[in-house]
Amino acid sequence: MSSTEHLHRSRFRASFADPEQLLHAVKHLRTAGHRVLDTYTPFPVHGMDEAMGLRPSRLPRACLAFAVLGLALAAGLQIWTSAVDYPLITGGKPLLAIPAFIPVAFELTVLLAGLGVVASFFLVARMRPRLRIPDLHAGANDDRFILAAELAADIQFPAVAQELAGLGALDSGLLVEDRFQRRSAFWDRPAGVGALLLACLPAFLLLALVPVLNRDFQRRNLAWDGGMGAPLSAQAYDASGVLPSGKVLQAPPPDTLSRHGEPPLAFGPGKAEAERAGRELQNPYQPTQARFNRGKLVFERVCATCHGREGDNNGSVIVARGAFAPTVLVSPLVRDMPDGRLFHVATFGGPTKMKGYGDLLSREDRWQVVLYIRELQKAAKPAAAPAQATGAQP
Amino acid sequence: MAHDADVLTASGISAAEAERYGHNLPLIDGNKTYRQVTEEVFAPTERRPPLRWWLALAVTLSMLSLGAWAVVQTLTRGIGTWGLNRTVGWAFDITNFVFWVGIGHAGTLISAILFLFRQRWRTSINRAAEAMTLFAVMCAGTFPIIHMGRPWLAFWATPYPNSRGSLWVNFKSPLLWDVVAISTYFIISLAFWYIGLIPDLATQRDRAKTKLKRTILSIFSLGWNGSNRTWSRYETVYMLLAGLSTPLVVSVHTIVSMDFATSVIPGWHATIFPPYFVVGAVFSGFAMVLTLMIIARSVMGLEEYITTRHLEAMTKVVLATGMIVGMAYATEFFTAWYSGNPYERYVFLNRALGPYQWAYWTMVGCNVLSPQFFWFRKVRTTPWMIFILTIFVNIGMWFERFVIIVTSLHRDYLPSSWAMYRPTFIEVAILIGSFGLFFTLFLVFTRVLPMIAASEVKGVLKNVEH
Repeated sequence: MSSTEHLHRSRFRASFADPEQLLHAVKHLRTAGHRVLDTYTPFPVHGMDEAMGLRPSRLPRACLAFAVLGLALAAGLQIWTSAVDYPLITGGKPLLAIPAFIPVAFELTVLLAGLGVVASFFLVARMRPRLRIPDLHAGANDDRFILAAELAADIQFPAVAQELAGLGALDSGLLVEDRFQRRSAFWDRPAGVGALLLACLPAFLLLALVPVLNRDFQRRNLAWDGGMGAPLSAQAYDASGVLPSGKVLQAPPPDTLSRHGEPPLAFGPGKAEAERAGRELQNPYQPTQARFNRGKLVFERVCATCHGREGDNNGSVIVARGAFAPTVLVSPLVRDMPDGRLFHVATFGGPTKMKGYGDLLSREDRWQVVLYIRELQKAAKPAAAPAQATGAQP
Repeated sequence: MAHDADVLTASGISAAEAERYGHNLPLIDGNKTYRQVTEEVFAPTERRPPLRWWLALAVTLSMLSLGAWAVVQTLTRGIGTWGLNRTVGWAFDITNFVFWVGIGHAGTLISAILFLFRQRWRTSINRAAEAMTLFAVMCAGTFPIIHMGRPWLAFWATPYPNSRGSLWVNFKSPLLWDVVAISTYFIISLAFWYIGLIPDLATQRDRAKTKLKRTILSIFSLGWNGSNRTWSRYETVYMLLAGLSTPLVVSVHTIVSMDFATSVIPGWHATIFPPYFVVGAVFSGFAMVLTLMIIARSVMGLEEYITTRHLEAMTKVVLATGMIVGMAYATEFFTAWYSGNPYERYVFLNRALGPYQWAYWTMVGCNVLSPQFFWFRKVRTTPWMIFILTIFVNIGMWFERFVIIVTSLHRDYLPSSWAMYRPTFIEVAILIGSFGLFFTLFLVFTRVLPMIAASEVKGVLKNVEH
């Protein structure tokens, strides 16, 4: 390798202090038949592309291609997710709401066009992190305007150097480039035990990946944050270890007012209160077909289980079981009770066994049930009257 | 010298007029050489910061930590620490979000739109203005993320394949448009800023004294050597990014305004919102650039780079956009009256004469009246006057968003649900924290990276059209 044949001696450099001089020198060298390889300047010198004979960059085409890709991607993503894979109607808009897709489509077009053209630029200009920069360009990022060129076949360098000096070059020189001798790179260094460990690392990582890749993809993901994915749920009638009453479902606080705008009922449970209710309360509703229907519905769902569908204990579950016979609603005893008294029973329960339904039925429903019981009593009259209440006036 | 005033220049105006309108004046004062530009631009990054820089950092870091404390309070105790209520469901956070996004708009406008319009004076300020854009968008982004309550699940706002069955984000929602627009804006602004920074990073690399600094800069400067083949492609890419950023910057605040305009709340449901918001954003952004530049140029001794000519050009933009914003305020009232919709009319009467009228008139005073002083050349060229007026504009533009959001929400259709909103200390602390974040990042930026685009300034040093 001591021979000098492999040394390349036809390239030279020159540096200038002024962009105009550099531009002039480039033009001059090109007309003289030399090949200008490149210039190195602290800022883009206008007119240099033409002087060097560079063609306009084709990066705009890359930009357009990426823009089209972004637009297609955005259109495909939005149409497929919104209209095909997850067809959820929101805001009464059609599933394929093209105007609503425009903003995201525009943004993704710009995003891909921008990132794409930057990536293309880095690729074609071979820009990547480099730890060493050749000395050729010293000052090119500061205040020097440098050119690198190749001598025309039959011209010797000293003559060119003189011309360049005449054009204002601060210095110029041949570039000696050894084509065979490569500087030993980072990758060529001999390495030791640390490198062995590094070499084993990918294998370990690969093995560690196996259980991850083997997992059942049908199962839920591992959620490190329990928060919204797994809320604590409690059933209404479960026991609670936290709440004071020991139950999940809490009674409303005392003196809680109904949200339906009704004033609180000024009666409590008990016989005396029941009689007072009989004296003081009037049924606020007049019998109509609608109230009859509602009263019938509520009666048959709630009351008929024990009192029978006709209010005569016929079909009563607890009578059939022999447990207890409720008061016959169509009996004269009940018929003679005022409406307010019946309402009180429906609300707070009867004198013996019946429980109150004040917390389950609305006040309106309880009054409507009272209306319905009156209708049952009217309907039962022909059958019951002769047997039990001979002296009753119609 | 007396008859110099009578000499006509090539463009047919007298030398005095040329001086007055800045024709063929150098963009950079002081007859600098290229070397001098390098030395002066990179000097702050190569010496230890002075005591006043550390004092400023102490203040901004305190603000930042106060904000961090408030964010921790919000996340651990819940959104109940904020003053939101039944009708005013979002107020301070969205006000601050829109405010910061708006601030961010000037950077892209200066770097992209002024570039396309060949406004060569932009070269002194574009680097710092773009950095300001990035920092402002960061500040803006924190607010919706905090409001989510579980910021670590913020990725749920992106469309990604998941194991929850068919489940995708709603592409018809303006809130999702917002996510996409702000993210795109941040990424493209970052790319634009970084591309512009590469040549200067290379200069910084060449000048680096320590090995660590040199290594880091070598990685980020991507082997830049000033090659003309690379410059040629670089200029193409820069032009393309400017072309892409120009509609992007308009789209971002348009989409932010659609968060409001596509709803049916009186006071928000207006077609004027997109242009009104975009202009407001430019207005507030330029005001913030001016505020920062006036401090930075005097603190860092860059008066010869950021000259009063630069300041004057920016104040003209502030004046023009301020008048458009004032026009928009008037148009809103006209539209409300002309619509014949009693709710719409009420909202605007309530804005100007209701319980938040102090906020409304602060906004009008700061945004419509204070820029009028910029009609006077004396004001336009006196930094301290510009500084005071731009502070007013910043305050006014913050109040504009507050007024639009809170006055439209606090009285809705049902008088029984009318409410008043006032921020809690936690909310104010988060706002202070966002200013802390913004100024901390800016202070660090001025000492780590060249605040002025040296390679671009060298290109216009001789203000000659090629």
